[in-house]
Amino acid sequence: MSEVLKVDGVSRRFGGLLAVNNVSFAIEPGQIVGLLGPNGSGKTTMLNMISGALKVSGGQIAFQDQLVTGLPAHKIAKRGVARTFQLVRSLPSLTLTENVLISAAYGRERLWGAAALDKVAENLALVGLEGRGDEPVADLTYIDLKRMELARAMVADPKLLLLDEWLAGLNPAELQIGVDLIRRLQQRGITILLVEHIMDAVRATCARCIVMSAGAVIADGPTDQALADPEVIRAYLGDDDA
Amino acid sequence: MKPFLFGLLVIGLLAWAPLVLNDYGTGLLLGLTGYATLATAWAMFSGPTRYVSLATVAFFGIGAYTVAVLSETLPYPLVLVVAALIGLSVSLVVGLATLRLAGVYFVIFSFGLAELVRQTVTWYEVNVTGTLGRYIFLPLEARHIYWQLLALLVLTLLIGIYMRKSRIWLALVAVGDDEVAARHAGVDVTRTKLALFALSATIITLVGAIQAPRWTYVEPTIVFNPTISFLTLVMALLGGAGKLWGPIVGAIPLFLLFEWLSANFPNHYSIILGGIFILIVFAVPNGILARLETLGQRRKGEAQ
Repeated sequence: MSEVLKVDGVSRRFGGLLAVNNVSFAIEPGQIVGLLGPNGSGKTTMLNMISGALKVSGGQIAFQDQLVTGLPAHKIAKRGVARTFQLVRSLPSLTLTENVLISAAYGRERLWGAAALDKVAENLALVGLEGRGDEPVADLTYIDLKRMELARAMVADPKLLLLDEWLAGLNPAELQIGVDLIRRLQQRGITILLVEHIMDAVRATCARCIVMSAGAVIADGPTDQALADPEVIRAYLGDDDA
Repeated sequence: MKPFLFGLLVIGLLAWAPLVLNDYGTGLLLGLTGYATLATAWAMFSGPTRYVSLATVAFFGIGAYTVAVLSETLPYPLVLVVAALIGLSVSLVVGLATLRLAGVYFVIFSFGLAELVRQTVTWYEVNVTGTLGRYIFLPLEARHIYWQLLALLVLTLLIGIYMRKSRIWLALVAVGDDEVAARHAGVDVTRTKLALFALSATIITLVGAIQAPRWTYVEPTIVFNPTISFLTLVMALLGGAGKLWGPIVGAIPLFLLFEWLSANFPNHYSIILGGIFILIVFAVPNGILARLETLGQRRKGEAQ
């Protein structure tokens, strides 16, 4: 098995707008790859297509050498693709444990009972929420909700983790905690594709970056090179500052 | 073990009751058990998912009409099986078509469905069979009907207990909270909703089928009366649609109240019903049981 994820000529059209235009890239196992670009460049659309929330208008997506194009979201999740959301999606009538448990119960391994609860406790500890499983999520702070989402994604032992601006909205101290957490996941050998706007966090976590602008990939390479690319600077800052 | 024995004792007492009660008492218990089953079955799907269905009477009526049409051609147990299968098939077709609708659109559709079924049956009876109204002559006394309903209620509760211990409950609550999050956690949202909608609708169909012989004479306006949908909904909401015992806790006082109202204020019955509905939604939006729980917790908090 070579690549975890292979995106081949993928496009997505919303009416007359071509949100993603013929995008291709591949991600090797164990990589943390940043997916960058100005607002509206198609990053979240790309994540939504990989996770099955949106259908592609053209092109193919392969996960672990198998085509997943057109599969519904729950089937892609079961194969080992986990994600977080730009705006946290919690299940407010459930406890913290139950919010994470659902992903263990319906994920790749379909765990239930004591085995599932152990796995949940282990992942709550991983994100720094140990011993708080009985709290209703409606009472959690923003950073704790973000931790919960990460635990929910990780409890299914995903092969690929998609983080959609997971660090956005955190204060500087929390940001450091978040960056450390992502690094810890990397040490576990997990492959991560993250959409992020906070450049310091990108530099601290991603060895490689893919930069999108107006639906197309304009740079793809080691983080420092990609961020120094004149076209990337132009996309972010406009012509005058380049 | 204790709750199990206690449950058996209660079921035993309830099953024994019609042997000592007079006809009126048995009839009251029968009606109450019917509504308790309807409300529990309704809450099985609508409680956790929050898909408020007003299609209760569509399935109830389908059950009753199946018995009315088939009671002289098939043996009674087989009629019940056929009714359940028809309810199941209709709910699967309807569910596939409509469970994509969210919130108020689903409510409106489910209400429309009940009317559609009623009008279709009426049209068919008038234009094809040339009758409006059918007689049911089955050798079933009130207590026989009551025992069947009681068995169905116990079965429904057992399913509810089992569901709450299995992962499907988590999935259903997640569907009610955030379908997108549920989907990306690996839940097949469409199949989960469809399965529970069909299960709930099949039980409701059976309630209609079992209760049908009680009327002797049925016609569409009787068995497809939308008030049945509204009463079921209000009962479940009053007790708490998210709790196993909620619908029964709501059904007992409301059924008795409605019996009293319809006997004493037959002309103003529906106005009073509407008023009660509004009061319940304002005063106990999450049901009596949830209200008691929060009160209990507050008292515990004060004690500490």
